[in-house]
Amino acid sequence: MKRMISVIATGLALGLSFGAQAGTLEDAVKRGSVSCGVSTGLAGFSQKDENGKWSGLDVDVCRAVAAAVLGDADKVQYKPLTAKERFTALQSGEIDVLSRNTTWTHTRDTSLGLNFAGVNYYDGQGFMVSKDLGVKSALELDGAAVCIQAGTTTELNLADYFRANGITYKAITFDTSDQTRAGFESGRCDVLTSDQSQLYALRIGLKDPSAAVVLPEVISKEPLGPVVRQGDDAWFNIVRWSLMAMVEAEFLGIDSSSVDSAKADGNPSQKRLMGTEGDAGEKLGISAEWAYNIVKQVGNYSESFERNVGQGSPLKIARGLNAQWNNGGIMYSSPVR
Amino acid sequence: MSDHRQVSSSPSFFNNPRNRSIIYQALLILGLGYFFYSIVSNTLANMEARGIKSGYDFLFTTAGFDILMSLIPYDATHTYGRTFLVGLLNTILVSTIGIILATIVGFVMGVAHFSHNLLIRKVAVIYIEIFRNIPLLLQVFFWYFAVLAALPGARQSLSLGEVIFLNVRGLYFPGLVAQTGATFVYAAIAVAITSIYLLRRWAKKRQDRTGQQYPVFSTSLAIMFGLPLMALIFTGFPFTFDIPELKGFNFRGGITVIPELMALTLALTMYTGAFIAEAVRAGIQAVPHGQTEAARSLGLKERRIMQLIIVPQAMRVIVPLLNSEYQSLVKNSTLATAIGYPDLFTVFVGTTLNQTGQAIEIVFMTMAVYFVVNMTISFVMNRFNTSVALVER
Amino acid sequence: MRTFKPLPSQPAPKETVGAVNWIRENFFSSVGNSLATLAILMLLAIILPPAIDWLFLSANWQGVTQADCTKDGACWSFVKAWSKQFFYGSYPSDELWRINLCLLALVAVIIASNVLHKDWRNKIAIPLFLALPFISIVILDGRPIGLSFVSTDYWGGFSLNVLLAAAAIIIAFPLSFLWALGRRSDMPMIRSVCVILIEFFRGVPVLALFFMGSVMLPLFFPEGTNVDKLLRVWIVLTLFMSGYMAEVFRGGFQAVPKGQYEAADSLGLSFWQKTLLIILPQVIKISMPNILATFVMLFKNTTFLLIIGIFEMLSTTQTALTNSNWLGGHATEGYLFVALVFWICCFSMSMISSSIERKLDTSHKK
Repeated sequence: MKRMISVIATGLALGLSFGAQAGTLEDAVKRGSVSCGVSTGLAGFSQKDENGKWSGLDVDVCRAVAAAVLGDADKVQYKPLTAKERFTALQSGEIDVLSRNTTWTHTRDTSLGLNFAGVNYYDGQGFMVSKDLGVKSALELDGAAVCIQAGTTTELNLADYFRANGITYKAITFDTSDQTRAGFESGRCDVLTSDQSQLYALRIGLKDPSAAVVLPEVISKEPLGPVVRQGDDAWFNIVRWSLMAMVEAEFLGIDSSSVDSAKADGNPSQKRLMGTEGDAGEKLGISAEWAYNIVKQVGNYSESFERNVGQGSPLKIARGLNAQWNNGGIMYSSPVR
Repeated sequence: MSDHRQVSSSPSFFNNPRNRSIIYQALLILGLGYFFYSIVSNTLANMEARGIKSGYDFLFTTAGFDILMSLIPYDATHTYGRTFLVGLLNTILVSTIGIILATIVGFVMGVAHFSHNLLIRKVAVIYIEIFRNIPLLLQVFFWYFAVLAALPGARQSLSLGEVIFLNVRGLYFPGLVAQTGATFVYAAIAVAITSIYLLRRWAKKRQDRTGQQYPVFSTSLAIMFGLPLMALIFTGFPFTFDIPELKGFNFRGGITVIPELMALTLALTMYTGAFIAEAVRAGIQAVPHGQTEAARSLGLKERRIMQLIIVPQAMRVIVPLLNSEYQSLVKNSTLATAIGYPDLFTVFVGTTLNQTGQAIEIVFMTMAVYFVVNMTISFVMNRFNTSVALVER
Repeated sequence: MRTFKPLPSQPAPKETVGAVNWIRENFFSSVGNSLATLAILMLLAIILPPAIDWLFLSANWQGVTQADCTKDGACWSFVKAWSKQFFYGSYPSDELWRINLCLLALVAVIIASNVLHKDWRNKIAIPLFLALPFISIVILDGRPIGLSFVSTDYWGGFSLNVLLAAAAIIIAFPLSFLWALGRRSDMPMIRSVCVILIEFFRGVPVLALFFMGSVMLPLFFPEGTNVDKLLRVWIVLTLFMSGYMAEVFRGGFQAVPKGQYEAADSLGLSFWQKTLLIILPQVIKISMPNILATFVMLFKNTTFLLIIGIFEMLSTTQTALTNSNWLGGHATEGYLFVALVFWICCFSMSMISSSIERKLDTSHKK
């Protein structure tokens, strides 16, 4: 009996871990990895491949933080989370940073004890219809059946929009994107609505992608970004600036191939970012080469975007709002100085 | 001698079973009390730290989302409390249909096991072994994404006489709209049911007394259809049909059975039906063969043997098993959430929980509902069980 | 003296032998039967050819990328490419022997408890059996014995379904036995606590319990404590399983003849001696088919973990379907494969269960 108890105790001790409240940075360094909450599967944002390797735009944020803090982008513990668990996991200290296409809203920012560290993708809810319906605008959809990919705000946005325009509809809610696509493809619904970024992924999955069109209407603002716990400002700064560094590197024209030359003999602002001048890293409490490691191992924002969701990926999403501010978009980083 | 007896009849304090039992129970209560106290205090502390509100106020705030199917009037302006009701009714609907159909399928397949036709026997065995041994979630996916999604689109609907339509959006059939005078028809149906009940009682009493049989079944049939039909003719058919029509994107009018409901019902029916078939088979096998032989030697017809001798005895084995199968059907209806049928789980634990974040209250309410529903089933089936149980004379 | 010479036996009547008669007897014995036979045959003729064509004839068997799927039929390359994920999840490739070792140990202990001599079984197999979940956790986790650490987030696939179900039922064994015992107890408090526990875990959908494990349980622990999600799921599964098993055991208790209790009492055995040495072995023997049936149910229910984002086999399939390199809609292939794997396991277990049932069945039915 005694042996039994000790065995159980060992087992429990393995599963239990006490989130030390020392500071997330210290914990991550001690653990040797950044614990990062991601989606269980979202094309282009966080997806697993055949070998169990994670990739995606959201995953790159985790990798950037790991590169900045530990100097190695691969030192990430990925915690796949469902939409319902994500905030609990962050609040309880199970994860260090949540990068799971989470919309930055007032309620979440103010009442959950969380802080949004920035925006890594400006999204919005859109519609996709089949071409032979001949619909040009969402306003012509009166009486349509709408397939919804269950989200947290998707249903609300849809109800608001259609009600405001006096349009009736039937909502069919699916759990996963693959099911939503199958429902749309079989003709269960006329319209499919989800975040625009996902519409492209869903469209690729159709047997004949050219038979479907994405309507111009965007009915909501969905700024997606990484989230951290409130009350640990050092960590908040690190996550915010890891993201900024990727955007700033693109702005300064540094990518993973030119990073070494920019570090050695770039212009002053390039050198400041790369850590050869100034003490940006020290002020964050991490290595001076933090941004160099990010760009070297993960790439700048443009590289990450194109690789995961842009032209280098099957999704082929245009930069749009997510282009640099001087390029027609609203991606804007504060200067490193 | 008497001294000795006294020692043996008053054991030491701890060896006295009564004292021991009190100590054990006291320890248990203390342990449980501490357990619940620490859970509650932890939860309260955690909720406060994480800014989670508690309480049931959210039930009275506007929900703001739409639900695909509702048995009561509902739109986005109603409250979260109403979403609970909508979901609950949808759960009860799918469970009721599922229980009825699964019972039919189960009994047919269970009896088919004893068919004279080898092919039918094999079909029954294959059906049972396939549907019993594949996870229900996969079966739900199968019916929804493979079978029903293969139906034609709204404009190429399969139709039956241009009044019933079947397409990928669902099954559409005409609704009856009651006009003045419909009350007479309803009354006729009520009278028919009551008189059938009385007739059966009378016929049974008569048989007990005189041994004479009365053709109860055919008379009942005549009353059941005859009375309402007469009422219909006398009142001049006080109903109009609401025939579904293709308007714009979809069919409008009539009654719609959404494919999510069909798929979930099919999956639950086939899965639970396989278990019920197995129970029926076991039940029939449990009836000793001598019973059949005895009945034959009394000159009963084969159908009457099944009806009067085998099935009543088999029911003693079948009913307790049915009880647990019905309960698991209700619990399994929560898989609706995988295909978006708006049952209690999809609507309340899904969307409502996502939007309000009140995990504890919502999960608690939902558990309570399923618990109560299952207790009700258990109660009804236990009553039924007593009525079929062996009466020792 | 004339010897008795029996007449040579007559051949069976012509109408009852031969292939034609066999067919008539089994398929066309009446009008109704003939119609049913024809209907079934017609249905098979409609369904089978396209199904076989899609499944085998025009299916794609080669290659490991989506581009290799050029023919109209099923794309089995999808299953091939993801097979490691389907069975082992993201567990590091070099460490797969640890999973295999645990699975092997499970099989070994099950066999051992069946073939070993009684004394050895009680002293070795049963304690090993109970310790197995903890040993497996230690091996899979790796830290306590100096192997490389593999976080539970990387455990997954079919091996997770098997190990989780096994771990749950092993712990549920003693727990449910206690509950069932408590339900029979004379002490009102203990009895009602056990009844409430059993009825609660039986009366609530397992999906709701999973949600409780994933969303509510973290709130129950003291602040700053993290309990691994898989551990929470294991706890929930064990409790769920215990509810069902307790009822199975209750049936077993009732089936043990009263004389056994009385005989044990008259030998002067203590309560625990009586329960563990006399009653328990009989209860387990009687309940074995039902225990297996309950286990099959639990095993199938592990697929519901998909809903709360644990990478068991079915949710791994769904993840594979959302990968941007495989967005071609291979759901049917994936689900069919999962269904096949589960069917094989569950079907063989139900075969074992009914063979035990037959062995135990000593009644004299015709």
